[in-house]
Amino acid sequence: MKKVTYFPGCSAHGTSEEFDQTVKMVMKTLDVEMEEIPDWNCCGATSAHTMNESLAYALPLRNLVLAEKLSNDTMTVPCASCYQRMKFTKIHMDENPELARKINTAVVGEGQYQGRVAVKSMLQYCYEDVGIEAIKTKVTSPISGMKIACYYGCLLTRPKAITQFDSPEYPMSMDRIVEALGAKAMPFDFKTECCGASFSISDTDVVLQLSGKILEMAKESGAHAIVVACPLCQSNLDMRQPDIEKKFKVRYDLPIFYLTQLMAMAFGYPKDKMMFSKHIVPVDGALAHIGEVIEEPKKTAKGKKAVKAESEVE
Amino acid sequence: MITLSYKGKNTFLEAVNEKSGSDVLECYQCGKCVSTCPVSNFMDFPPREIMQMIKLELKEECQMANSTWFCLTCSACSGRCPREINIPAVMEAVRHMAIEENFHPDSKQVKNIRKFHEIFLDMIRRYGRNYELRMMAEFNIRTRNLFKDMHLAPKALLKGKIPLGVKSMKSAKAIKKMYEMADKLEQQSK
Repeated sequence: MKKVTYFPGCSAHGTSEEFDQTVKMVMKTLDVEMEEIPDWNCCGATSAHTMNESLAYALPLRNLVLAEKLSNDTMTVPCASCYQRMKFTKIHMDENPELARKINTAVVGEGQYQGRVAVKSMLQYCYEDVGIEAIKTKVTSPISGMKIACYYGCLLTRPKAITQFDSPEYPMSMDRIVEALGAKAMPFDFKTECCGASFSISDTDVVLQLSGKILEMAKESGAHAIVVACPLCQSNLDMRQPDIEKKFKVRYDLPIFYLTQLMAMAFGYPKDKMMFSKHIVPVDGALAHIGEVIEEPKKTAKGKKAVKAESEVE
Repeated sequence: MITLSYKGKNTFLEAVNEKSGSDVLECYQCGKCVSTCPVSNFMDFPPREIMQMIKLELKEECQMANSTWFCLTCSACSGRCPREINIPAVMEAVRHMAIEENFHPDSKQVKNIRKFHEIFLDMIRRYGRNYELRMMAEFNIRTRNLFKDMHLAPKALLKGKIPLGVKSMKSAKAIKKMYEMADKLEQQSK
Protein backbone atom coordinates (compact mmCIF):
# COMPACT_ATOMS: atom_id res chain seq x y z
CA MET A 1 0.00 0.00 0.00
CA LYS A 2 1.30 3.39 -1.04
CA LYS A 3 1.04 6.43 1.20
CA VAL A 4 0.87 10.02 0.03
CA THR A 5 0.37 13.44 1.57
CA TYR A 6 -2.80 15.18 0.45
CA PHE A 7 -3.40 18.89 -0.02
CA PRO A 8 -7.10 19.36 -0.88
CA GLY A 9 -7.14 23.15 -1.47
CA CYS A 10 -9.94 25.60 -0.67
CA SER A 11 -12.24 24.68 -3.52
CA ALA A 12 -12.35 21.09 -2.25
CA HIS A 13 -14.59 22.45 0.49
CA GLY A 14 -16.50 24.61 -1.97
CA THR A 15 -17.12 24.49 -5.68
CA SER A 16 -15.19 21.25 -6.23
CA GLU A 17 -16.39 19.09 -3.37
CA GLU A 18 -17.16 16.36 -5.90
CA PHE A 19 -13.50 16.36 -7.01
CA ASP A 20 -12.33 15.90 -3.41
CA GLN A 21 -14.84 13.11 -2.74
CA THR A 22 -14.05 11.17 -5.90
CA VAL A 23 -10.29 11.58 -5.45
CA LYS A 24 -10.67 9.91 -2.05
CA MET A 25 -12.77 7.07 -3.52
CA VAL A 26 -10.40 6.50 -6.43
CA MET A 27 -7.28 6.50 -4.25
CA LYS A 28 -8.85 3.98 -1.92
CA THR A 29 -9.49 1.62 -4.82
CA LEU A 30 -5.95 2.15 -6.09
CA ASP A 31 -4.59 1.16 -2.66
CA VAL A 32 -3.18 4.58 -1.89
CA GLU A 33 -3.59 5.92 1.60
CA MET A 34 -3.91 9.70 1.73
CA GLU A 35 -2.81 11.74 4.70
CA GLU A 36 -4.17 15.29 4.72
CA ILE A 37 -1.82 18.10 5.78
CA PRO A 38 -3.10 19.13 9.21
CA ASP A 39 -4.59 22.63 9.22
CA TRP A 40 -3.35 23.54 5.74
CA ASN A 41 -3.89 27.05 4.40
CA CYS A 42 -4.79 28.56 1.04
CA CYS A 43 -1.96 28.57 -1.52
CA GLY A 44 -2.66 32.21 -2.36
CA ALA A 45 -3.70 31.33 -5.91
CA THR A 46 -3.41 33.97 -8.62
CA SER A 47 -4.15 36.84 -6.30
CA ALA A 48 -1.11 36.47 -4.05
CA HIS A 49 1.44 36.38 -6.86
CA THR A 50 -0.33 39.20 -8.66
CA MET A 51 -0.18 41.55 -5.69
CA ASN A 52 2.49 40.54 -3.19
CA GLU A 53 5.61 38.52 -3.92
CA SER A 54 6.53 37.66 -0.33
CA LEU A 55 3.04 36.43 0.42
CA ALA A 56 3.00 34.41 -2.80
CA TYR A 57 6.03 32.47 -1.52
CA ALA A 58 5.01 32.37 2.13
CA LEU A 59 1.52 30.86 1.82
CA PRO A 60 2.57 27.73 -0.13
CA LEU A 61 5.80 27.48 1.86
CA ARG A 62 3.87 27.02 5.11
CA ASN A 63 2.10 24.01 3.56
CA LEU A 64 5.37 22.62 2.24
CA VAL A 65 6.95 22.86 5.69
CA LEU A 66 3.91 21.22 7.31
CA ALA A 67 4.05 18.45 4.68
CA GLU A 68 7.62 17.69 5.70
CA LYS A 69 6.46 16.96 9.21
CA LEU A 70 4.55 13.96 7.84
CA SER A 71 6.59 10.90 6.90
CA ASN A 72 5.56 10.66 3.20
CA ASP A 73 7.94 11.71 0.47
CA THR A 74 5.31 12.84 -2.04
CA MET A 75 2.46 15.31 -1.81
CA THR A 76 -0.42 15.20 -4.26
CA VAL A 77 -2.65 18.15 -5.11
CA PRO A 78 -5.91 17.86 -7.06
CA CYS A 79 -6.35 21.56 -7.92
CA ALA A 80 -4.15 22.70 -10.82
CA SER A 81 -3.73 26.18 -9.39
CA CYS A 82 -2.70 24.99 -5.91
CA TYR A 83 -0.36 22.51 -7.58
CA GLN A 84 1.25 25.23 -9.67
CA ARG A 85 1.80 27.55 -6.67
CA MET A 86 3.23 24.73 -4.53
CA LYS A 87 5.54 23.44 -7.22
CA PHE A 88 6.58 26.97 -8.20
CA THR A 89 7.47 27.76 -4.61
CA LYS A 90 9.22 24.43 -4.11
CA ILE A 91 11.42 24.90 -7.18
CA HIS A 92 12.30 28.49 -6.31
CA MET A 93 13.04 27.60 -2.69
CA ASP A 94 15.16 24.57 -3.67
CA GLU A 95 17.13 26.68 -6.13
CA ASN A 96 17.60 29.52 -3.70
CA PRO A 97 18.04 28.29 -0.10
CA GLU A 98 18.91 31.82 0.98
CA LEU A 99 15.48 33.07 -0.09
CA ALA A 100 13.84 30.03 1.52
CA ARG A 101 15.51 30.82 4.83
CA LYS A 102 14.55 34.48 4.57
CA ILE A 103 10.88 33.86 3.82
CA ASN A 104 10.71 31.05 6.34
CA THR A 105 12.17 32.93 9.28
CA ALA A 106 10.67 36.33 8.43
CA VAL A 107 7.18 35.19 7.51
CA VAL A 108 6.25 31.54 8.00
CA GLY A 109 7.85 30.50 11.28
CA GLU A 110 6.79 26.84 11.21
CA GLY A 111 10.26 25.28 11.24
CA GLN A 112 13.04 24.60 8.78
CA TYR A 113 12.27 23.96 5.10
CA GLN A 114 14.29 21.04 3.74
CA GLY A 115 12.83 20.49 0.28
CA ARG A 116 12.28 16.83 1.04
CA VAL A 117 8.75 16.33 -0.31
CA ALA A 118 7.98 16.00 -4.03
CA VAL A 119 4.91 17.87 -5.28
CA LYS A 120 2.72 16.19 -7.88
CA SER A 121 -0.67 16.98 -9.34
CA MET A 122 -3.33 14.31 -8.91
CA LEU A 123 -3.07 13.59 -12.64
CA GLN A 124 0.70 13.20 -12.46
CA TYR A 125 0.46 10.96 -9.40
CA CYS A 126 -2.08 8.68 -11.07
CA TYR A 127 -0.05 8.55 -14.27
CA GLU A 128 3.46 8.18 -12.87
CA ASP A 129 3.18 6.64 -9.41
CA VAL A 130 0.08 4.48 -9.80
CA GLY A 131 0.43 3.79 -13.52
CA ILE A 132 -1.92 2.98 -16.37
CA GLU A 133 -1.66 -0.80 -15.86
CA ALA A 134 -2.68 -0.58 -12.20
CA ILE A 135 -5.61 1.65 -13.15
CA LYS A 136 -6.67 -0.84 -15.84
CA THR A 137 -6.76 -3.74 -13.38
CA LYS A 138 -9.26 -1.88 -11.18
CA VAL A 139 -11.76 -1.13 -13.98
CA THR A 140 -14.87 -3.23 -13.38
CA SER A 141 -17.47 -1.31 -15.39
CA PRO A 142 -15.72 0.31 -18.35
CA ILE A 143 -17.19 3.53 -19.69
CA SER A 144 -16.76 2.42 -23.30
CA GLY A 145 -18.87 4.25 -25.84
CA MET A 146 -18.18 7.66 -24.37
CA LYS A 147 -16.20 10.08 -26.50
CA ILE A 148 -14.19 12.46 -24.38
CA ALA A 149 -12.20 15.63 -24.93
CA CYS A 150 -9.42 15.82 -22.32
CA TYR A 151 -8.86 19.40 -21.25
CA TYR A 152 -5.71 20.04 -19.18
CA GLY A 153 -5.80 23.83 -18.97
CA CYS A 154 -2.70 25.94 -18.59
CA LEU A 155 -1.31 25.00 -15.21
CA LEU A 156 -1.04 21.20 -15.18
CA THR A 157 1.70 20.90 -17.80
CA ARG A 158 2.98 24.47 -18.15
CA PRO A 159 5.52 26.00 -17.75
CA LYS A 160 7.67 22.96 -18.44
CA ALA A 161 10.44 24.21 -16.12
CA ILE A 162 8.00 24.13 -13.20
CA THR A 163 5.74 21.14 -13.88
CA GLN A 164 8.39 18.85 -15.43
CA PHE A 165 5.54 16.65 -16.58
CA ASP A 166 4.03 15.68 -19.94
CA SER A 167 3.95 17.99 -22.96
CA PRO A 168 3.12 21.69 -22.55
CA GLU A 169 1.58 21.75 -26.05
CA TYR A 170 -0.18 18.43 -26.53
CA PRO A 171 -0.22 16.36 -23.33
CA MET A 172 -1.51 12.78 -23.45
CA SER A 173 -1.44 11.52 -19.83
CA MET A 174 -5.14 12.20 -19.16
CA ASP A 175 -6.06 10.77 -22.57
CA ARG A 176 -4.26 7.53 -21.69
CA ILE A 177 -6.07 7.28 -18.35
CA VAL A 178 -9.43 7.92 -20.00
CA GLU A 179 -8.69 5.21 -22.56
CA ALA A 180 -7.70 2.83 -19.78
CA LEU A 181 -11.22 3.36 -18.42
CA GLY A 182 -12.62 2.22 -21.77
CA ALA A 183 -13.68 5.58 -23.20
CA LYS A 184 -12.42 7.09 -26.42
CA ALA A 185 -10.20 10.17 -26.05
CA MET A 186 -10.83 12.46 -29.01
CA PRO A 187 -8.10 14.42 -30.78
CA PHE A 188 -8.61 17.91 -29.36
CA ASP A 189 -6.50 20.94 -30.18
CA PHE A 190 -7.45 23.17 -27.26
CA LYS A 191 -6.10 20.88 -24.53
CA THR A 192 -3.87 23.49 -22.95
CA GLU A 193 -5.61 26.75 -23.89
CA CYS A 194 -6.53 28.95 -20.94
CA CYS A 195 -10.18 29.05 -19.76
CA GLY A 196 -9.85 32.58 -18.36
CA ALA A 197 -9.32 31.38 -14.79
CA SER A 198 -9.86 33.97 -12.08
CA PHE A 199 -11.38 36.47 -14.52
CA SER A 200 -14.55 34.47 -13.97
CA ILE A 201 -15.51 37.06 -11.40
CA SER A 202 -13.41 40.13 -12.15
CA ASP A 203 -14.02 40.29 -15.91
CA THR A 204 -16.54 37.64 -16.88
CA ASP A 205 -16.48 38.61 -20.55
CA VAL A 206 -12.93 37.29 -20.88
CA VAL A 207 -14.02 33.90 -19.55
CA LEU A 208 -17.06 33.72 -21.82
CA GLN A 209 -14.83 34.24 -24.85
CA LEU A 210 -11.95 31.98 -23.79
CA SER A 211 -14.08 29.16 -22.42
CA GLY A 212 -16.44 29.54 -25.38
CA LYS A 213 -13.63 28.68 -27.77
CA ILE A 214 -12.71 25.60 -25.74
CA LEU A 215 -16.31 24.35 -25.76
CA GLU A 216 -16.56 25.04 -29.50
CA MET A 217 -13.44 23.02 -30.25
CA ALA A 218 -14.50 20.17 -27.96
CA LYS A 219 -17.87 19.99 -29.69
CA GLU A 220 -16.16 19.98 -33.06
CA SER A 221 -13.97 17.05 -31.98
CA GLY A 222 -17.14 15.00 -31.64
CA ALA A 223 -16.83 14.55 -27.88
CA HIS A 224 -19.86 13.84 -25.69
CA ALA A 225 -18.20 15.47 -22.69
CA ILE A 226 -15.08 17.26 -21.49
CA VAL A 227 -12.94 15.88 -18.69
CA VAL A 228 -10.83 18.17 -16.53
CA ALA A 229 -8.54 18.00 -13.49
CA CYS A 230 -8.91 21.57 -12.22
CA PRO A 231 -11.75 23.12 -10.19
CA LEU A 232 -11.53 26.49 -11.92
CA CYS A 233 -11.62 24.95 -15.39
CA GLN A 234 -14.63 22.93 -14.29
CA SER A 235 -16.59 25.84 -12.91
CA ASN A 236 -15.76 28.11 -15.86
CA LEU A 237 -16.76 25.53 -18.45
CA ASP A 238 -19.76 24.20 -16.51
CA MET A 239 -21.27 27.09 -14.58
CA ARG A 240 -20.63 29.63 -17.34
CA GLN A 241 -21.77 27.34 -20.15
CA PRO A 242 -25.40 28.59 -20.24
CA ASP A 243 -24.10 32.19 -20.43
CA ILE A 244 -21.70 31.26 -23.22
CA GLU A 245 -24.48 29.53 -25.14
CA LYS A 246 -26.68 32.60 -24.73
CA LYS A 247 -23.98 35.08 -25.70
CA PHE A 248 -22.86 33.30 -28.86
CA LYS A 249 -26.31 31.83 -29.69
CA VAL A 250 -25.05 28.25 -29.80
CA ARG A 251 -25.91 25.00 -28.07
CA TYR A 252 -23.13 22.80 -26.70
CA ASP A 253 -24.71 20.73 -23.94
CA LEU A 254 -21.30 19.39 -22.93
CA PRO A 255 -21.08 18.12 -19.33
CA ILE A 256 -17.75 18.79 -17.62
CA PHE A 257 -16.51 15.83 -15.58
CA TYR A 258 -13.61 15.62 -13.21
CA LEU A 259 -11.20 12.87 -14.23
CA THR A 260 -11.72 11.15 -10.89
CA GLN A 261 -15.50 11.09 -11.35
CA LEU A 262 -15.06 8.99 -14.48
CA MET A 263 -12.43 6.83 -12.79
CA ALA A 264 -14.79 6.17 -9.88
CA MET A 265 -17.57 5.24 -12.32
CA ALA A 266 -15.30 2.78 -14.12
CA PHE A 267 -14.16 1.36 -10.77
CA GLY A 268 -17.79 0.46 -10.13
CA TYR A 269 -18.86 3.05 -7.55
CA PRO A 270 -22.61 3.79 -7.64
CA LYS A 271 -23.65 6.86 -9.63
CA ASP A 272 -25.09 8.71 -6.65
CA LYS A 273 -21.62 8.88 -5.03
CA MET A 274 -20.27 11.12 -7.82
CA MET A 275 -22.32 14.16 -6.76
CA PHE A 276 -23.45 14.74 -10.36
CA SER A 277 -26.33 16.76 -8.92
CA LYS A 278 -23.84 19.62 -8.39
CA HIS A 279 -23.23 19.96 -12.11
CA ILE A 280 -24.98 22.80 -13.88
CA VAL A 281 -24.93 21.08 -17.29
CA PRO A 282 -26.77 17.75 -16.86
CA VAL A 283 -24.58 14.67 -17.27
CA ASP A 284 -27.19 12.05 -18.21
CA GLY A 285 -27.04 12.63 -21.96
CA ALA A 286 -23.32 11.92 -22.04
CA LEU A 287 -23.54 8.94 -19.67
CA ALA A 288 -26.23 7.38 -21.88
CA HIS A 289 -23.53 6.70 -24.48
CA ILE A 290 -21.87 4.15 -22.16
CA GLY A 291 -22.08 0.73 -23.76
CA GLU A 292 -22.41 2.04 -27.30
CA VAL A 293 -20.05 0.64 -29.89
CA ILE A 294 -17.92 3.32 -31.51
CA GLU A 295 -17.35 2.54 -35.15
CA GLU A 296 -13.82 3.32 -36.18
CA PRO A 297 -13.57 5.05 -39.54
CA LYS A 298 -12.05 2.70 -42.11
CA LYS A 299 -8.37 3.39 -42.39
CA THR A 300 -7.30 4.47 -45.85
CA ALA A 301 -3.69 4.13 -46.93
CA LYS A 302 -3.27 7.81 -46.20
CA GLY A 303 -4.87 7.48 -42.77
CA LYS A 304 -2.51 4.64 -41.85
CA LYS A 305 0.43 6.75 -42.79
CA ALA A 306 -0.78 9.55 -40.56
CA VAL A 307 -1.25 7.16 -37.63
CA LYS A 308 2.25 5.82 -38.16
CA ALA A 309 3.71 9.29 -38.25
CA GLU A 310 2.02 10.09 -34.95
CA SER A 311 3.42 7.02 -33.20
CA GLU A 312 6.86 7.79 -34.54
CA VAL A 313 6.74 11.20 -32.92
CA GLU A 314 6.17 9.56 -29.58
CA MET B 1 6.75 62.17 -11.23
CA ILE B 2 7.81 58.81 -12.49
CA THR B 3 11.52 58.04 -12.45
CA LEU B 4 13.34 55.53 -14.56
CA SER B 5 15.66 54.35 -11.83
CA TYR B 6 14.49 51.60 -9.51
CA LYS B 7 16.28 50.22 -6.46
CA GLY B 8 19.71 51.38 -7.54
CA LYS B 9 19.22 50.18 -11.10
CA ASN B 10 19.86 52.92 -13.59
CA THR B 11 17.37 51.85 -16.16
CA PHE B 12 13.89 50.38 -16.25
CA LEU B 13 15.21 47.60 -18.49
CA GLU B 14 17.87 46.60 -15.94
CA ALA B 15 15.33 46.62 -13.12
CA VAL B 16 12.84 44.47 -15.04
CA ASN B 17 15.60 42.05 -16.04
CA GLU B 18 16.78 41.66 -12.48
CA LYS B 19 13.30 41.26 -11.04
CA SER B 20 12.11 38.80 -13.68
CA GLY B 21 15.33 36.83 -14.06
CA SER B 22 14.97 37.14 -17.83
CA ASP B 23 16.75 39.26 -20.42
CA VAL B 24 14.24 41.38 -22.32
CA LEU B 25 16.99 42.45 -24.74
CA GLU B 26 16.88 38.91 -26.12
CA CYS B 27 13.48 39.67 -27.67
CA TYR B 28 13.72 40.00 -31.46
CA GLN B 29 10.09 40.99 -31.94
CA CYS B 30 8.85 37.90 -33.77
CA GLY B 31 5.37 38.27 -32.28
CA LYS B 32 4.85 34.61 -31.44
CA CYS B 33 3.76 35.65 -27.96
CA VAL B 34 1.01 37.87 -29.39
CA SER B 35 -0.48 35.16 -31.55
CA THR B 36 -0.28 32.70 -28.66
CA CYS B 37 -1.64 34.95 -25.92
CA PRO B 38 -5.35 34.21 -25.26
CA VAL B 39 -5.96 37.74 -23.96
CA SER B 40 -3.78 39.87 -26.25
CA ASN B 41 -6.91 41.30 -27.85
CA PHE B 42 -7.95 42.71 -24.46
CA MET B 43 -4.58 44.39 -23.86
CA ASP B 44 -3.66 48.01 -24.57
CA PHE B 45 -0.31 46.70 -25.81
CA PRO B 46 0.24 42.98 -26.53
CA PRO B 47 3.30 41.28 -24.98
CA ARG B 48 5.58 41.95 -27.97
CA GLU B 49 4.97 45.68 -27.70
CA ILE B 50 5.49 45.65 -23.94
CA MET B 51 8.87 43.97 -24.54
CA GLN B 52 9.85 46.71 -26.99
CA MET B 53 8.56 49.44 -24.66
CA ILE B 54 10.77 48.08 -21.87
CA LYS B 55 13.77 48.25 -24.18
CA LEU B 56 12.84 51.83 -25.03
CA GLU B 57 12.58 52.73 -21.33
CA LEU B 58 8.89 53.62 -21.62
CA LYS B 59 8.30 52.87 -17.96
CA GLU B 60 5.24 55.00 -17.41
CA GLU B 61 3.54 53.71 -20.55
CA CYS B 62 4.18 50.12 -19.45
CA GLN B 63 2.87 50.71 -15.97
CA MET B 64 -0.21 52.58 -17.10
CA ALA B 65 -1.15 49.95 -19.69
CA ASN B 66 -3.69 47.31 -18.70
CA SER B 67 -1.51 44.58 -20.26
CA THR B 68 0.24 43.35 -17.14
CA TRP B 69 -3.09 43.16 -15.33
CA PHE B 70 -4.66 41.09 -18.07
CA CYS B 71 -1.80 38.58 -18.17
CA LEU B 72 -3.26 35.26 -16.95
CA THR B 73 0.20 33.76 -16.28
CA CYS B 74 -0.88 30.83 -18.46
CA SER B 75 2.71 30.66 -19.81
CA ALA B 76 1.61 29.83 -23.34
CA CYS B 77 3.83 32.65 -24.64
CA SER B 78 6.99 31.66 -22.80
CA GLY B 79 6.53 28.04 -23.87
CA ARG B 80 6.71 29.13 -27.49
CA CYS B 81 9.17 32.05 -27.20
CA PRO B 82 12.13 31.23 -29.45
CA ARG B 83 14.34 33.43 -27.23
CA GLU B 84 13.11 31.61 -24.10
CA ILE B 85 12.13 34.81 -22.33
CA ASN B 86 9.95 34.26 -19.26
CA ILE B 87 7.30 36.71 -20.47
CA PRO B 88 4.84 36.18 -17.58
CA ALA B 89 7.68 36.91 -15.14
CA VAL B 90 8.46 40.10 -17.06
CA MET B 91 4.79 41.12 -16.94
CA GLU B 92 4.73 40.36 -13.23
CA ALA B 93 7.90 42.39 -12.61
CA VAL B 94 6.37 45.44 -14.31
CA ARG B 95 3.12 44.98 -12.38
CA HIS B 96 4.86 44.60 -9.01
CA MET B 97 6.90 47.75 -9.67
CA ALA B 98 3.70 49.60 -10.57
CA ILE B 99 2.02 48.42 -7.35
CA GLU B 100 5.02 49.48 -5.25
CA GLU B 101 5.17 52.89 -6.88
CA ASN B 102 1.41 53.30 -6.93
CA PHE B 103 0.99 53.66 -10.66
CA HIS B 104 -2.19 52.10 -11.95
CA PRO B 105 -4.20 52.31 -15.09
CA ASP B 106 -7.48 54.02 -14.40
CA SER B 107 -9.80 51.78 -16.40
CA LYS B 108 -12.76 50.13 -14.74
CA GLN B 109 -11.62 46.70 -15.89
CA VAL B 110 -8.25 46.99 -14.19
CA LYS B 111 -9.85 48.41 -11.07
CA ASN B 112 -12.15 45.40 -10.95
CA ILE B 113 -9.31 42.94 -11.47
CA ARG B 114 -7.35 44.61 -8.68
CA LYS B 115 -10.33 44.71 -6.38
CA PHE B 116 -10.96 41.01 -6.96
CA HIS B 117 -7.40 40.14 -5.95
CA GLU B 118 -7.62 42.36 -2.88
CA ILE B 119 -10.87 40.76 -1.76
CA PHE B 120 -9.50 37.26 -2.38
CA LEU B 121 -6.42 38.00 -0.28
CA ASP B 122 -8.63 39.50 2.38
CA MET B 123 -10.61 36.23 2.60
CA ILE B 124 -7.36 34.32 3.16
CA ARG B 125 -6.24 36.83 5.78
CA ARG B 126 -9.51 36.38 7.65
CA TYR B 127 -10.18 32.66 7.28
CA GLY B 128 -6.88 31.19 6.09
CA ARG B 129 -8.87 29.75 3.21
CA ASN B 130 -11.09 31.13 0.51
CA TYR B 131 -14.74 31.78 1.38
CA GLU B 132 -16.12 31.66 -2.14
CA LEU B 133 -19.66 32.94 -1.61
CA ARG B 134 -18.57 35.81 0.59
CA MET B 135 -15.84 36.72 -1.87
CA MET B 136 -18.38 36.96 -4.70
CA ALA B 137 -20.78 38.98 -2.56
CA GLU B 138 -18.08 41.42 -1.46
CA PHE B 139 -16.93 41.82 -5.02
CA ASN B 140 -20.44 42.79 -6.08
CA ILE B 141 -20.79 45.21 -3.20
CA ARG B 142 -17.41 46.84 -3.64
CA THR B 143 -17.76 47.21 -7.40
CA ARG B 144 -21.33 48.52 -6.95
CA ASN B 145 -22.74 45.86 -9.23
CA LEU B 146 -25.09 44.04 -6.90
CA PHE B 147 -26.82 41.93 -9.51
CA LYS B 148 -23.73 40.53 -11.21
CA ASP B 149 -24.11 36.76 -11.63
CA MET B 150 -27.37 36.81 -9.67
CA HIS B 151 -28.97 34.72 -12.41
CA LEU B 152 -26.55 31.92 -11.46
CA ALA B 153 -27.33 32.13 -7.76
CA PRO B 154 -30.54 30.07 -7.52
CA LYS B 155 -29.09 27.10 -9.43
CA ALA B 156 -25.61 27.31 -7.94
CA LEU B 157 -26.86 27.61 -4.37
CA LEU B 158 -29.66 25.06 -4.63
CA LYS B 159 -27.37 22.48 -6.19
CA GLY B 160 -24.80 23.15 -3.48
CA LYS B 161 -22.27 24.16 -6.14
CA ILE B 162 -21.29 27.09 -3.95
CA PRO B 163 -21.63 26.28 -0.24
CA LEU B 164 -22.94 28.93 2.13
CA GLY B 165 -20.13 28.72 4.67
CA VAL B 166 -16.41 28.14 4.93
CA LYS B 167 -14.43 25.57 6.92
CA SER B 168 -11.89 28.02 8.27
CA MET B 169 -8.53 27.00 9.68
CA LYS B 170 -7.71 26.37 13.31
CA SER B 171 -4.61 28.52 13.12
CA ALA B 172 -6.16 31.37 11.15
CA LYS B 173 -4.29 33.68 13.53
CA ALA B 174 -0.97 32.39 12.22
CA ILE B 175 -2.01 33.42 8.71
CA LYS B 176 -2.89 36.94 9.91
CA LYS B 177 0.57 37.14 11.40
CA MET B 178 2.08 35.93 8.14
CA TYR B 179 0.32 38.75 6.30
CA GLU B 180 1.82 41.33 8.63
CA MET B 181 5.28 39.85 8.28
CA ALA B 182 5.00 39.56 4.49
CA ASP B 183 3.97 43.22 4.28
CA LYS B 184 6.96 44.15 6.41
CA LEU B 185 9.26 42.17 4.15
CA GLU B 186 7.80 43.88 1.06
CA GLN B 187 8.33 47.28 2.67
CA GLN B 188 11.93 46.41 3.52
CA SER B 189 12.73 45.30 -0.01
CA LYS B 190 11.48 48.60 -1.44
